[in-house]
Amino acid sequence: MTFEEAQKELEAIVQRLESGEAPLDEALKLWQRGEELYRFCKERLDTAEGKIEDLASRVDATKS
Amino acid sequence: MKVEALEYGDRKVYSVGAFNRGVASWLARLPTVWVEGEVTELRRQARWASVFFTLKDPQDGSCLAVSMPRSQFDALRLDLADGERVHVYGRPELFAARGDFRLRALSLERFGLGDHLAALERLKRKLADEGLFAAERKRALPLLPHRIGLVTGNDAAAKRDVLTAITTRFPPANVLVAETYVQGPRAAAAVVEALGALCRQGADVVVVARGGGSFEDLLPFSDERLVRAIADCPVPVVSAVGHEQDTPLCDLAADVRASTPSVAGRLVVPDLAQLLERLERTRSGLERGTRRTLDRERQRLERTHERLGRAPRLLVERGRAKLEHSAGRLRALSPQATLERGYAIVRAGEEIVRSGNAVHPGERVDVELADGGFGARVEERR
Repeated sequence: MTFEEAQKELEAIVQRLESGEAPLDEALKLWQRGEELYRFCKERLDTAEGKIEDLASRVDATKS
Repeated sequence: MKVEALEYGDRKVYSVGAFNRGVASWLARLPTVWVEGEVTELRRQARWASVFFTLKDPQDGSCLAVSMPRSQFDALRLDLADGERVHVYGRPELFAARGDFRLRALSLERFGLGDHLAALERLKRKLADEGLFAAERKRALPLLPHRIGLVTGNDAAAKRDVLTAITTRFPPANVLVAETYVQGPRAAAAVVEALGALCRQGADVVVVARGGGSFEDLLPFSDERLVRAIADCPVPVVSAVGHEQDTPLCDLAADVRASTPSVAGRLVVPDLAQLLERLERTRSGLERGTRRTLDRERQRLERTHERLGRAPRLLVERGRAKLEHSAGRLRALSPQATLERGYAIVRAGEEIVRSGNAVHPGERVDVELADGGFGARVEERR
């Protein structure tokens, strides 16, 4: 799953919850799924280390 | 020219010199034509009678050796550099002493700005007709790229601008930088190669950045190979080549065109602060929404429970009302009410007396009134 897909699904879940149309069982399932998606997105942002690499040195590294 | 051959039995054999001279004289009958290509390996020395260079086809790399009398070449004062596009007027020639085939140039013209523009316009029309620049081909950039490829000149301001813009907006970005030639005859092929290499290394979006330059400097970015490579690139490409007013063809083929390298940098990454804020906002929404549903369900449960508690009492009350109604009806049917109006019930023994014939004079009867009663004797019958 990409970050975008996760974010989109998460926002759709919130919308459904806020509409107040979801019955309790569904609401709890949605909340659980929403928390999972939130953690996934957060992790993607927190664990990216941010590096600037040179293609030539990277290609050399993959070869050796 | 008569070409002499030796006879070995029934086999005709030519000497090398005779063969070369024969081919040379046959070639000499071909017409004089114009040939277009890029000048490479230009060799000119004062003691040589001719100037030599290789004419290269920019499309497929085919090569053609060219010679031109030095005096004629010098008289043109072209000051040609490697990589320049020229039109050569000449005829094919075989240099018999070495068996070298070449084009003997009689005249040479630099491919002018006008020619370049016309050629560019033709190419643009051709590629547009093929649909290479069509809006429906444009792909959306990934919101959060895993790895950003950057094609740029080495140590260029463009490179710095892109990197600064990316890391300011989104510090955790991964960028893979391919430094290549960004001008001159080798640039187009080098950029094509870099694009491919970046994709193979897992880039999911590529920025092609080059600062401003002269029309000729930017020509490689309108090269057909490069334009096609950008259109065919498996991941979206952002083009930031030259200044706003230049529109190299690569800009038209790219998925997104950025007016400057900095803009390109800002386009390929999201704003981390905004992204985090949005994510947290969404999460609060998630909690709020869930809590609201829970509260609503809890209230509904309370209401139901309350109704459940009220149910038995309601049942008893309903029973009581029913009972009173029945009692009322019962009372209405009892003789008491009739007695109240002044009637009396007369009994002889256990039997109620309904007829004068049912009693005899002197018989004792009981009379029941609304309030109490009395015993009596029958005087007479009527």
